[in-house]
Amino acid sequence: MPHLTANDQELHHQLLGDATSDATPCVFAHGLLVDNLSSWYFGAAPIVAASRLAVCYDLRGHGLSSHAADGYDVGTGARDLIALLDSLGLQQVDLAGQSWGALICLRVALEHPERVRRLVLCEAPLPPSSLTEMASVINSDPQELLNMLPESLREAFSGGKRRALKAASRLKRLLTESSLIADLKAEGDIDDELLAALSQETLLLYGDDSSCRPVADRLLELVPHASLKTLPGGHYLAAERASDVGALIKEFLDG
Amino acid sequence: MTTLTTVAALIQEVIGEDWDLDDEITLESSFADDLELESIEFVALAEKMQASFGEGVDFVGWLSGKELDEIIALKVGDVVEFIDACRT
Repeated sequence: MPHLTANDQELHHQLLGDATSDATPCVFAHGLLVDNLSSWYFGAAPIVAASRLAVCYDLRGHGLSSHAADGYDVGTGARDLIALLDSLGLQQVDLAGQSWGALICLRVALEHPERVRRLVLCEAPLPPSSLTEMASVINSDPQELLNMLPESLREAFSGGKRRALKAASRLKRLLTESSLIADLKAEGDIDDELLAALSQETLLLYGDDSSCRPVADRLLELVPHASLKTLPGGHYLAAERASDVGALIKEFLDG
Repeated sequence: MTTLTTVAALIQEVIGEDWDLDDEITLESSFADDLELESIEFVALAEKMQASFGEGVDFVGWLSGKELDEIIALKVGDVVEFIDACRT
């Protein structure tokens, strides 16, 4: 597995498309807990990789990256991502994030504007408490969280055998043996002034039925160069509407 | 070693030693229902196949042209067939 040590974490990543392409590479960040790079890797990333290098990576404690006892806050996630870019020798990139991954991408774009050309925020929950799913995580009710998953993601917990046991034990480990819940609780909103200072062209992707759909209107009003596309679907949009999300991101980045 | 034996060994490697499979891996085994492969394990398998069979077998490219539900429906035999077709 391609792993590299970034910010003291072993981060698993996969490259798709042409590494020698002149087009700006796009890095994809996934959501928390039940997600990993495969939702981008088997979804939007190969579509985007037709015209540029696409990099998918597993957040700390997720997928095939190493387990981490702490550092699930957005700030640490942003430092992990910058360290990953440095290790891969990527000076300027496009960033696309789903949910918590979108918050990490947004933070990197705000703090390191020179490193980010364009930004895709898919279902960014701002403040994080705007997301109903977050409440069940904070209340530590994994079953409620699982019930909210679309069918394609629920598959991972079905079958009652190896796959379900493995997925459930990983979820339990994140919920009970790491600071993840405390980090989520502590994560605050981003000030309007900061959002108004975002310099990148930004594509907002939201699901019509998502609990954080109203966030899109706030971002659209505040972020200077933002455009919004909504799709039928809920919060897990990158996995649920992979082809549409891929086509929209490709069009946005190629344009 | 046949293609199936190699693919079966790689699948077992990805699943890990801690998790024994109930049944033998055959051409008819489905990745989702019989082997219960997680999508992240499929990513790992794709990479191992590429390393094992070489650049001539563009497994990642083949997979990335498929929708997730097509990937979920794949059987070991589909993968073996693809590899053999690339090598002839």
